[in-house]
Amino acid sequence: MKGKTKWAGKVLAVFLAFVVAAGCICTGCGSGGSAESSSSSGSSKGTILGSGSKELKILSGSENKELEPILEDYANKNHIRIEMTYQGSLDIMRDLEAETFAYDAVWPASSIWLDAGDEKLHRVKHAESISINPVVFGIKKSLAEKLGFVGKEVSVSDILNAITSGQLKFCMTSATQSNSGASAYLGFIHALLGDPDVIRSDDLKSEDLKKNLTELLSGINRSSGSSEWLMDMFVKSDYDAMVNYECLMIAANKELEKAGKEPLYVVYPYDGLCIADSPLAYVDQGDKDKEKLFTDLQDYLLTSDVQNEIQKTGRRTAYTGINEENKAIFKTDWGLQPDRVLSPFKMPDTDVLMDCLNMYQSELRKPSLTVYCLDYSGSMAGKGNKQLVAAMEQLLIQKKARENYLQASDSDVTILIPFDEKVMDTYTAVGNGQDLENLYLDVRNTDPTGGTDMYAAIEEGLQLLKGYDLTKYTTAVIVMTDGMAMDNYEEFADIYQSEGGDIPVFSIMYGDADSSQLDQLASLTNARVFDGRDDLTSAFRKVRGYN
Amino acid sequence: MKTKLLGLIIVVAVIAGAVGYKTYMDRSASTEMTGYVGGEKIGFLEDEDVQNTLQKKYHLTLDYSKAGSLDMVAADKDGKDYLWPSSQTALELYKSTVGKPVKSDVIFNTPIVIYTRKAVADALEKEGCVSSSGGVYSIDLKKLIQLVEDGTSWSSIGLTQLYGNITVSSTDPTKSNSGNMFAGLLANTLAGGVATESSIDQYLPEIKEIFEKSGYMESSSADIFSDFLKMGMGARPLVVGYENQLLEFTVENADIWKQVKDDVVMLYPIPTVWSSHVFIAMDDQASAAIDALMDKDIQKLAWEKHGFRTGVSGSSTDVSAFDGVGLAQTVNQVGQMPNYATMEKILHYLSK
Repeated sequence: MKGKTKWAGKVLAVFLAFVVAAGCICTGCGSGGSAESSSSSGSSKGTILGSGSKELKILSGSENKELEPILEDYANKNHIRIEMTYQGSLDIMRDLEAETFAYDAVWPASSIWLDAGDEKLHRVKHAESISINPVVFGIKKSLAEKLGFVGKEVSVSDILNAITSGQLKFCMTSATQSNSGASAYLGFIHALLGDPDVIRSDDLKSEDLKKNLTELLSGINRSSGSSEWLMDMFVKSDYDAMVNYECLMIAANKELEKAGKEPLYVVYPYDGLCIADSPLAYVDQGDKDKEKLFTDLQDYLLTSDVQNEIQKTGRRTAYTGINEENKAIFKTDWGLQPDRVLSPFKMPDTDVLMDCLNMYQSELRKPSLTVYCLDYSGSMAGKGNKQLVAAMEQLLIQKKARENYLQASDSDVTILIPFDEKVMDTYTAVGNGQDLENLYLDVRNTDPTGGTDMYAAIEEGLQLLKGYDLTKYTTAVIVMTDGMAMDNYEEFADIYQSEGGDIPVFSIMYGDADSSQLDQLASLTNARVFDGRDDLTSAFRKVRGYN
Repeated sequence: MKTKLLGLIIVVAVIAGAVGYKTYMDRSASTEMTGYVGGEKIGFLEDEDVQNTLQKKYHLTLDYSKAGSLDMVAADKDGKDYLWPSSQTALELYKSTVGKPVKSDVIFNTPIVIYTRKAVADALEKEGCVSSSGGVYSIDLKKLIQLVEDGTSWSSIGLTQLYGNITVSSTDPTKSNSGNMFAGLLANTLAGGVATESSIDQYLPEIKEIFEKSGYMESSSADIFSDFLKMGMGARPLVVGYENQLLEFTVENADIWKQVKDDVVMLYPIPTVWSSHVFIAMDDQASAAIDALMDKDIQKLAWEKHGFRTGVSGSSTDVSAFDGVGLAQTVNQVGQMPNYATMEKILHYLSK
């Protein structure tokens, strides 16, 4: 039991690193990206603001990243340190549900996830909305004009029609990780059900609904785990439209204009609007000094001067709408409507909400197609091999996998390639039945000996993937290794690039790991290196497209 | 000379010692206790005047965790000294699931009201659902229920800026007190008098439908009220709350109140019910807290700064302290909540 708690305690650290990395996976945003280092021991790595000895750790939705200058200013003036760690609001909810919580405060996008996460433990105190942000659609202006969306009221169905007819290349955040993605997903369900009073449990049983959703979602990029990362990805890619907060549309447009690109036209769907109330709340773990530190910061953020500063970042604030002096920031040219009465559709009740999310996870997500290259070279003998086998057990034995929401769907494809100085064998299992579980026996019963050529295994994996229609899957290669391989990188890089190279090759390090070669590989394939000696759950979630 | 000085030093030392000892004794005599509190009383408990009075007169510090009135009865009460829900129903639930409390008493009362915006109040007034007299607004619940049940859209009563149909937002009746009391109020309204265990059955589907139509329900009365004020008319056109919430807000946020007071309207439902803030002491030290909370200075603070009506329910109160609220001198047409058995039946049906 003790081991398990420790395991759980480490979840956060690596989880964050993985989620941060996720923003980079599909973007082609290059090797370094903006992600933080993923190696970590125990506590998470966030952005440190200020340098005082008293510290406040805040777990926040990434949309608050833009408020860092305000927080930093406060931290400097008051000689404290604020550590901001970012992840999606639904991931924040899941972390709040755990006994061990490594932060002093949370700042998800919406109270819904705060309430749901705190339902059992009742640790959350002093929740106050810091800003108010509608979730809106941003569409390249010329396209919005072409679609007839400019200067008129647009419904969610209008937008869905444009997506399904192929007129809109669209992206949103993960519906099970991030509030903006979840909001959009619920808005889609609401529209596909024909705008009922409210979504009810029975509505979700409709096969038509599932079919339509699957079709719709298959054409949408949902790889970003939180909203600011989606904005970053959007600015660097060639999508036509995204769902995001009004404030991030403004931020995106500033960047797009700077880069000489076309700005987005913002559409407020009249039948599918959600409002994020951005609650900042204290998580009471009995430390009175921290609590004071927290309430002082919160009071500061709620002073009218700072609220005005926050408005200048494109966020609405409470009570009286947007101040006259800030209205120009909400450019009507970009479709923004600073005076609009924000009238959202009704969120379904918590049970139905959770049903919607479970449906997404178990029935709607794209199946994953994953190649695991498993290092059985001599240097892995002992500790490294033990860690690798334990990790694969978490993944392959479905009862264990379910504990961490890692279970396979019946269309997932799992390929294992054990290797030493050559490919030792290949194993494939489709679905989530006995075939998959039997792979674990192969993992356990193979002994590490010999040299290491991971590139041979990866090449073999890429060959095998050619046999699949990759548009139907979230595809990835994961190398589980200590990284001490023969250096055939140059040769591999040539082959990878000549074959169009868009499959990410992630590495998970074990034993006495050396990351230098793996970093090179990650950089080449727009992937990441993770430290498998910490918790793996989130890595697996991320890589297999549980979004 | 020297002896005199020495004498003086001794005297000073003795005094210092005595003062130090007294300070030490004061501190050690201070009782700290913790419990669960409905969110709507947090402003009161965080009030420094309240805290100082409790500390000075009674050497008492009340720490708390926020929980819904009914949730707290079911929650893990390990290490907690008291529960302070907002209704007698929670006390009844406590008695039936936990047992007789060490002591319990109603500390103060506030009626259930419905908050809205001027434009909405005006539109509903045209529908004959809302009326006003001397700046005090009331809402005919029976007519409101009809509008909700008919699926009347906001736009059809002239509010084209609002999406969807008329519904009333309340907290989750199975988790939080204001929602729970609203369920009781709906039951009474539909039954045309205090709903009883035998009369309630036929109205249960209607009550459930009214709640279901409103979708997601928050679990805290404080959060829903704060959302109402902060997020504007569109997010929550009609919200169930306590009278004291707005009164407290006007005191704590005088500047903001000045800016929004012309737009915020408090509707007294006809009929309405009292929310009684009953303190449930689970140990002896907590039962001493009841006396402290009934202190007249504390009770005065409770009304003047937090809007809780104290003393005998409905007794005349000085309403002039609150500016621009549309505050009723006395609250009329207050019905009894349905009894516990009836409420249990309603809650059971709603959680199905």
